[in-house]
Amino acid sequence: MNDAIIKTENLHKTYMTGKVTTHALRGVSLEIPRGAFCAIVGPSGHGKSTLMHLIGGLDRASEGTVFIDGEEITRLSNSRLAALRARKIGFVFQFFNLLQSLTAEENMATAMMFAGVPEKKQAEKAREFLSLVGLSEKLKSKPSELSGGQQQRVAIARALANDPEILLMDEPTGNLDSESEAEVLDAVFRLHKEGKTVIIVTHNPEIAKRAEMVIRIKDGRLAERQALI
Amino acid sequence: MNIPKLVVKNITRRKGRFIFTLLGITIGIASFVTLLSLGGGLKKEIRKQAAELGANLVVTPKGWCAYEQVSVLTGEQLPEAIPFDTVKKISAIRGLTAVPYLTERTAYRNNPVSVIGILPEEMRRFKNWGMEQGSYFTAQDERALVIGSGIAGQFKIKPGDELTIKGERLPVKGVLKETGGKDDIAVYIPLSVAQKLYEVGSNVSFIAIKVDDIAKIDAYILQIQEAANVAVVSDKQLLKSVLSIVGTVSMTLQLIAAVAILAAAFGIINTMMTAISERKREIGILQAIGAPRGTIFSLFFLESGCYGLLGGIFGVGCGLLFSLFASPYISQNEFTSLIRGTEVGEALDLRVILGSILFSVAVSLVSGFYPAWKAARMTPVEAISYE
Repeated sequence: MNDAIIKTENLHKTYMTGKVTTHALRGVSLEIPRGAFCAIVGPSGHGKSTLMHLIGGLDRASEGTVFIDGEEITRLSNSRLAALRARKIGFVFQFFNLLQSLTAEENMATAMMFAGVPEKKQAEKAREFLSLVGLSEKLKSKPSELSGGQQQRVAIARALANDPEILLMDEPTGNLDSESEAEVLDAVFRLHKEGKTVIIVTHNPEIAKRAEMVIRIKDGRLAERQALI
Repeated sequence: MNIPKLVVKNITRRKGRFIFTLLGITIGIASFVTLLSLGGGLKKEIRKQAAELGANLVVTPKGWCAYEQVSVLTGEQLPEAIPFDTVKKISAIRGLTAVPYLTERTAYRNNPVSVIGILPEEMRRFKNWGMEQGSYFTAQDERALVIGSGIAGQFKIKPGDELTIKGERLPVKGVLKETGGKDDIAVYIPLSVAQKLYEVGSNVSFIAIKVDDIAKIDAYILQIQEAANVAVVSDKQLLKSVLSIVGTVSMTLQLIAAVAILAAAFGIINTMMTAISERKREIGILQAIGAPRGTIFSLFFLESGCYGLLGGIFGVGCGLLFSLFASPYISQNEFTSLIRGTEVGEALDLRVILGSILFSVAVSLVSGFYPAWKAARMTPVEAISYE
């Protein structure tokens, strides 16, 4: 596994809640190869989301290092980290993924603004990505006018807006009915086929079954690592 | 998408809150501009009246305070405390013209009217008065009136009508040509007649003096003070002390308006803090899709600035309207009776308008600083994990 797009070494994360110290992660070392479809599974509250946040540079590790594409992001300043997120990573969360006051197209355009896409090209690209997730007719719809599944597909399209190499998804279907879930997963698998590295935190065993790599986190530790590639 | 567009989208999403916060700053700025404009108009009018007085020096009884000096300009009733002997002594000094005034009040149809006792010939020469209707006094002790054009117009008085002053009915002889100043809103009687009607003996209120050689004004002051036990004030000093009173009054009023603006500033802070806690998750999303802290800061900072810009523009507009509507009411007040008509609005120049808008923007930017800083300081994961 020479071409690891993501690599963590001895990752620790400790939270202080009042006087109580919580060890969310207790030394996780792993490598995820470029182009993999990786599922992070495990019981609730055992550190899956924390791991994803650290990999995506949304939070800082208490100890240990994270490399993205060979770059040690644990050393980057806040602004360099923001630039890295804008350039290389697309996020999809479980809830309230979209900016509620903006239409689907404007949500996409906002992400493109941070990725440095010129304003003139934003509309055209937004249409392209929305059609990729089958929502080209919802360009002018606000999140409140879309179903849960549609909102999540817009969020996926937005995560693509900066043409990232890595898609990080935190239970993207956790809040959806099975029909919407199928729509969203369809889009996700299609993206993976196109070459994106997909890392998905999930409780859904079906997704885990279809993944090429499963990372099981328990009590903040790497409990199991299965790689089919 | 660009930052300004995003700011506009955000600011208009809660329309009720947007409008109420905007109203706060608008009212603050409007009251500030109204008072600024009224104060400015007042000062401008006072300057004009001082010029119209036509005097280089004003002789007053010793011990007059600044309020009484204001009254020299406004034509209010004054104590009569300079004996006519003094007028004669001062008139005897070479190189100056002394014109005594006896300022009293009467009521006409329940409205206060200034009555001024004058030496008819001296006064006419001093002021270059012309006649609109009727004729001027022909004798120094004629029992008749000449009235200003403003009074004539307001009460529809024409030559031949009679006015009652201190229980005595006096005929109106003539109406003066409009001067555009307070001479238009007074009733004139020969000094000796006025002294008898008001039972003031031979006293007068003050003496206006015009000197032939303005360069020697200090020497004239000394000469007058040697000749009589009176206070002498130059028109510039008079203007200065009157303006300083007006300045203090308007400054006080502006301070009150500043309190209104301060309250509005806290309204903005409150609105922005609410917006930030409401949009905590969105801040997280923005950070996740690559917004640096500086961008988060400017989003909220500019949003706050928008309140200032819009509030400033609306506030200046409302303030101008208020001062236009308010000035006629204010001019019914005795102290400010000299502001009339639309002069007030003219006192607001472009500099004041732009200054007020900039001030409003500055206030709201300062108000927005803390909330914006707080928003920018949030870590992405803190914002995203917020439920």
